[in-house]
Amino acid sequence: MENPTPESVCEECLKKTKIHYREDGRFFMPRLLSINHLQLGNSKILHNPLVLIVEWLYRQYKHLRDAWKRFIAWLFPRPTKVWCHHADSALVGQIHYADRDNLNTPIHNLRVEFWGRTRWLQWRKLADGYSDDEGKFSLQFELREARNWKIYKTQFEVYQTTHVYFESEKPKVALECCYVEQVPVSNLTGMRYNLRTIHLHLWEYRRDTPVPRTEIKNVDNDSPQYYAQGRLDALFEQITPLEVTKAKHLLQIEQAPETISLAQIQSDYPENLTVCIERKLPGYTRSDEWFGRRMMNGMNRGTFLPDKENHNMFWVKYFGVCNYEHNDEYALPTVEIKFALKENGLPTPTEIHITGQTNAFDKNPWQKKVFTPANGEEWLYAKRIARVNGAFSTEVDEHFTGTHLNTEQYAIAAYRNFRRSPLACLLFPHLKEVALVNHSADTLLIHGYIPSATALTENGLHQRCYELLGMQDWKNWKPMKPLSEAHTCAKAEKMFWDLTIDYVEKFFAENLEEIKHHWIEVYRFSQDLVNHAVPVFLSSIDWGKLSPEEKQLANDRIEYYTYQYSFDTSAKRETVNGELKVVSPITTSRTFEESPPEDMQNLKHVCAYAIMMATYMHTWINEHQYDDLGEVLYSSGGLRYGNKERGILAPESDLSISPDLTRSTQMLWFTNFLSRTEYGFITKNEEGDVNPLFSKMLLDRKEEFAKLGVDVNAIESRTNI
Amino acid sequence: MNTKKVSLLQAIWIWLGEQTDKIILWIYAMFFALMIAVFVSFKTRQRMSHNNGIAGEGWLKIVDAPEFPEHPFFEKGKQYPVRIRHASATYLDDAMNCIRSISIKFSHHHWHSPFDIEMNTGAQSLFWNAVSFLKFGSMRKEQYGIEYVEYLRRYPDGVDGTKGAVRRDPTSFHNLHYYSKTPFLFLGTDGIKRYAKYRVLPLENEEQTGVEHRFSEFDLCNQRVLPFDPRGRNYLKYEYEDRVKKQGAKYRLQIQLHTASDDDDPEVFNNMVLWDERSHPWHDVAHFHIEKTLDWKQSTMTTFSVNNMPKTLGVLPAKSIYDYNSLNYLRAHSEIARKARMLSYKVFGMVPPIPDNDNRNVSGWGE
Ligand code: HEM
Ligand SMILES: [Fe+2]
Repeated sequence: MENPTPESVCEECLKKTKIHYREDGRFFMPRLLSINHLQLGNSKILHNPLVLIVEWLYRQYKHLRDAWKRFIAWLFPRPTKVWCHHADSALVGQIHYADRDNLNTPIHNLRVEFWGRTRWLQWRKLADGYSDDEGKFSLQFELREARNWKIYKTQFEVYQTTHVYFESEKPKVALECCYVEQVPVSNLTGMRYNLRTIHLHLWEYRRDTPVPRTEIKNVDNDSPQYYAQGRLDALFEQITPLEVTKAKHLLQIEQAPETISLAQIQSDYPENLTVCIERKLPGYTRSDEWFGRRMMNGMNRGTFLPDKENHNMFWVKYFGVCNYEHNDEYALPTVEIKFALKENGLPTPTEIHITGQTNAFDKNPWQKKVFTPANGEEWLYAKRIARVNGAFSTEVDEHFTGTHLNTEQYAIAAYRNFRRSPLACLLFPHLKEVALVNHSADTLLIHGYIPSATALTENGLHQRCYELLGMQDWKNWKPMKPLSEAHTCAKAEKMFWDLTIDYVEKFFAENLEEIKHHWIEVYRFSQDLVNHAVPVFLSSIDWGKLSPEEKQLANDRIEYYTYQYSFDTSAKRETVNGELKVVSPITTSRTFEESPPEDMQNLKHVCAYAIMMATYMHTWINEHQYDDLGEVLYSSGGLRYGNKERGILAPESDLSISPDLTRSTQMLWFTNFLSRTEYGFITKNEEGDVNPLFSKMLLDRKEEFAKLGVDVNAIESRTNI
Repeated sequence: MNTKKVSLLQAIWIWLGEQTDKIILWIYAMFFALMIAVFVSFKTRQRMSHNNGIAGEGWLKIVDAPEFPEHPFFEKGKQYPVRIRHASATYLDDAMNCIRSISIKFSHHHWHSPFDIEMNTGAQSLFWNAVSFLKFGSMRKEQYGIEYVEYLRRYPDGVDGTKGAVRRDPTSFHNLHYYSKTPFLFLGTDGIKRYAKYRVLPLENEEQTGVEHRFSEFDLCNQRVLPFDPRGRNYLKYEYEDRVKKQGAKYRLQIQLHTASDDDDPEVFNNMVLWDERSHPWHDVAHFHIEKTLDWKQSTMTTFSVNNMPKTLGVLPAKSIYDYNSLNYLRAHSEIARKARMLSYKVFGMVPPIPDNDNRNVSGWGE
C-alpha cells in the first residue's frame, strides 16, 4: 500500500487485531484448575506432566461420574404420572429465606414435589405443586398410595430454576432440586403432615455491603449459580497462553530484571489496535483526530455535554479522585475536555482542563491547569492524561458499575422472584453469570489489580461504585443521542435499544396472560429491586458541610452524570429506611388488576433496560478494552506522579510515570483476557438459551450494524467476563 | 362415566388385599389393647387416660317429642337409670389445662349397661384413625406437665383439635360441652341407615367456661398450672360434689344424624371433620338429672365401653388401620384393658384418692 490513509489503516488493523477463537486441546498444554484460581500473581497453572496426568485422571473420573449419574437417571426414571385417585392427606409447610434478615420472608412459586420410592427402587410421584404467595405449600396426596407396602421411603423435594433453554423455539425452564427432606413413611397418618418452615439459601443479598450483591459462599460448590462447562472451557483455552506470558514476565521481573523491558512486555502480548496503527502510521494514534474519534466512538463512548454558551461545543468530563480514598502513587485529577464538532461530524479537542494534583508535591486538589493545542508537547501530555482518566472512569463508572453491578441488581431480584412468570424466560438468559463474574471481580480487580494500578484504594473504589450506582435507573432511560452522522457508537446503541424494545414487546404480546397471572412475581421483583437499591447519587450528603469548591464539584457531577446515564431526576422514587432509592418501582400492586396501566409499560421498560445493560452496553466496553487499553504507554489505568516536579505532565518516554513492569504485564493480561475470553454470544447461542427470535431480529439487521462498525455476532448475550 | 372392567383375578387380588387390611387392623388393635392392659391398666392400676374423675348418679328421660327418626332404644318419654363420670385427661391435677370429659351409662351399675357413651370437650378430636392414634400415643413424651411437643409440631390438625378441646380453669364440669366426635351407627325403626354423633350440654343455657382463644402452638403443649393459680388439685371435683349436693346437675344429651349413602365421602367418618350443623342439626335425645355423687372408690370402679350399645346403635365397621372408623374399632377391642384394671384392684387394692398437696402438674399420685 503506497499511501495509507488513516481510514484504510484503521480498517486493516481492526481486522487484524480482531479476536478469533482457536481450539487447541493438546494433552500437555498447561491447564488452569478453575476460574477462581486466576490470580494477579501466578495463577495456579499446571505444568508438571505428573500433575497433568493426575488432572487428566480427575477429568476422566468426572466424566465417569456424570455418565453414572445419567445411567442412574435412566435406570430409575422420574415418571410424571401422579399416583393419586382421591387425595385425602396433605404435606404442608412453608418456605422462607434462610438469611437472618429474612427468616420471615416467604419464597413464592417454588416447585415442590412429593415422591415415594418402591422397594425395587423405582420412583413414584405422589404429589406436585408450588409454594403460594406466602411461601406456603399444601401437597395433596393419597395416604394409601404413600403407605403402599411397596413404598419404602418418601421424600419431599423443592426445585429452583437454574436456567432457561429453547427447544424448537419454545422456552423451557430447567429445574434443579435444591432441597430434599425424607418424610418417615410411618409419620404419614392422614390429614395434614407439617414439614414446618423450611429455610433455604436461595439468591440471598450480601449483608456486608450496601450494594445489592449476591451472597456466594463458595463459587465452586456453594453458589446459587455455576458457570456452564462450555464457558469455563472457552476461558481456559483463551487464557492459558496469556497466563504463560504473564508468568514468564513476573519471573523475569523477580529473578532477572535486567532481561525485561516495557517494550518487550508490550510485544509479548498480541498486537492491539493502537500498536498496529502506530506501526503503520506513526504518530497518528496520538493525534487530535484519533483522540476525538476514539473519545466519541471508542471504548469510552464519551458523553458530549453541550456547552452552555456555544452549542457547537461539547464537554466530555472525567471526574478524578473527588473525595474518595486514594493513594499517593497515582494521579487522578479531574479532566474536562472541550470539543468542537468538525465538518465530518467527528469531534476535535480544543481545550483540556485538568483540576487536581498532578505531581507528588503540590497536593492542592483544586489547582487547575488549562491546555490547548497551542501548548505543543504539553498538549500531548494533557491528552494522555485525558485518555488515562477516561479509561479509569470508563472502567470503574461505566463498565464495572454501570453494567456489571447494575446488571447484578436485576439478576438477583429476577432470580429471587421469577419462577412461574414467563419473564424468567425473557430475562434469565441475559442475567445469568453476572453475579459469578462480579464475585471474581471483587477479588481480582477491586481488591487486587485496580487499587495497585490506579489512584483509588479499595475503599475508595467501593465508595465510588456505591455512589455511581446511585445514578443507574431504568426509569425513562434512553440511549445516547447521536451528535452527528459520524457518531456511529450512539447510532448503533440506539439501533440496538430499539431492537430490544421491539423484541420485548413481541415477547410480551405472546406471553401477556401468563405475565399478568403471575403479577405477584413482578411486584416482589420490584420490591426487592427498590428495597435493596443504593440511594440516589449524593442524595444523602449534608450540603451545608461542603466547601464552595466541593459544592461546585458535586453539582458538576450531578449535572454531567444525569446526562451521561440518562437519569430522570423527576421520576417518583421511594424512600426506604430514610434512603431515597435510586431504582424506581415498577409496580406497587400485588395483582395486575389493581395496577395502573403504566405499570405494564414500566415492566417492559425495565426488562428492555436490563437486557440492554447486560448485553450491548457491557459488550461495547468489554470488547473495546483491548483496542483502547492494549498499549501501556498510550493509555492505562493510572499515571504515577514519579519523582519530578513536572509530575504526570511528562512525555511517554518518562517511564517513571507509566505503570511499572509488573502492573504493565498485569494490565495487558487483564485487557486481553477480558476482551478475548468472551463466550455466550446472542447469535452464536452456544448454550441454546437465547430466544431464537432475538437472534433472528439481530441477524436481520446485520448489515446496518456492520455499517456502524458493530459486528452483531460479537454481541454477548450476558455479562460474564 | 369411566367404568373399568375387573377381571376375576383382579377381583381376587382386591379381596385378598381387603382381607389383609382387616387382619392387620385386628393385629394392631389386639397388640395395642394388650399393651394397655398389661403395662397401664394392670401394672399401674390406671385408665389409659382419664384417671382423675368423679362419678354421679341420677335419672335420664328420653324427650317427649323427639325430632329425630324413631328408634326403639330412644323411645319417647322412656326413663333410664343413669351413671356418669366427669374426668380430666390425663393429669391428676384439676388446675392444669386439660381435656375434660363426661361418660354416661344408662344404668346404676359400675360395669353393665345397655348403652354407654364417652365424650370429651371440643367438637374435634386430636387423632383420626388407628395409625394416627398410635402416633399420638407414641409422641406424647410427657414431662413435668408438658406433652405432645413433637406431635403438635407435625400434625396441624392435632393443633386445631387441641385448641378446641382443652379447658383451663373451668368453673365447673357442668357448664362444659362434650362431644362423642366419632360417628356411630343409627338404625331406627324405618330401617334407613344413618350415622350418629352425640353431645352433652347443660340443660339450661349456661356460658361454657375455660375456653382459651389465644395461644400459640408452643404454649399449647404446656398444660402446667398457671403461676400463682390458687386452685387446688381437686377443685373441680369438689365443686361438682358441692353443686350436686346443693342443686343437682341437669344435662341434655343431643344427637346429630347423617343419612348413609354408598357414595359417602370417607370424610363423613373423620372425627376431625364436623358435620355442618345447618344440614345436620342437633336434636335433644334425653334430659338427665344427677342427684348424687359417688365416692372415690365407686368413681374409680365406674367404667364405660363402646360395646355397651344396642346393635343398632353400635360401632361402625372398619376396613383398615387408615379407615377413620378404626378408632372405634380400637376402642371396641380394648375390653381387656378395662378387665385388667378391675383385676388389678383385686390383686393390689384400690388406688388412693388424689391428695390435696403441692405436688402439682403430675400424671401420677407422686410422693
Ligand atoms: C375420639 C374418640 C374417643 C373419645 C371421645 C374417648 C373418650 C374417652 C373417655 C371420656 C374416657 C374416660 C371414661 C371414664 O370416665 O372412665 C375414655 C377412656 C378410655 N379410652 Fe377413650 N376415647 C376415644 C378414643 C379412644 C380410642 C381410639 C381408644 C383406643 C383403644 C380408647 C381407649 C380408651 C381406654 C382403654 C379407656 C380407659 C377405659 C377404662 O379403663 O375404663 N379411647 N375414653
Ligand atoms: Fe465486563
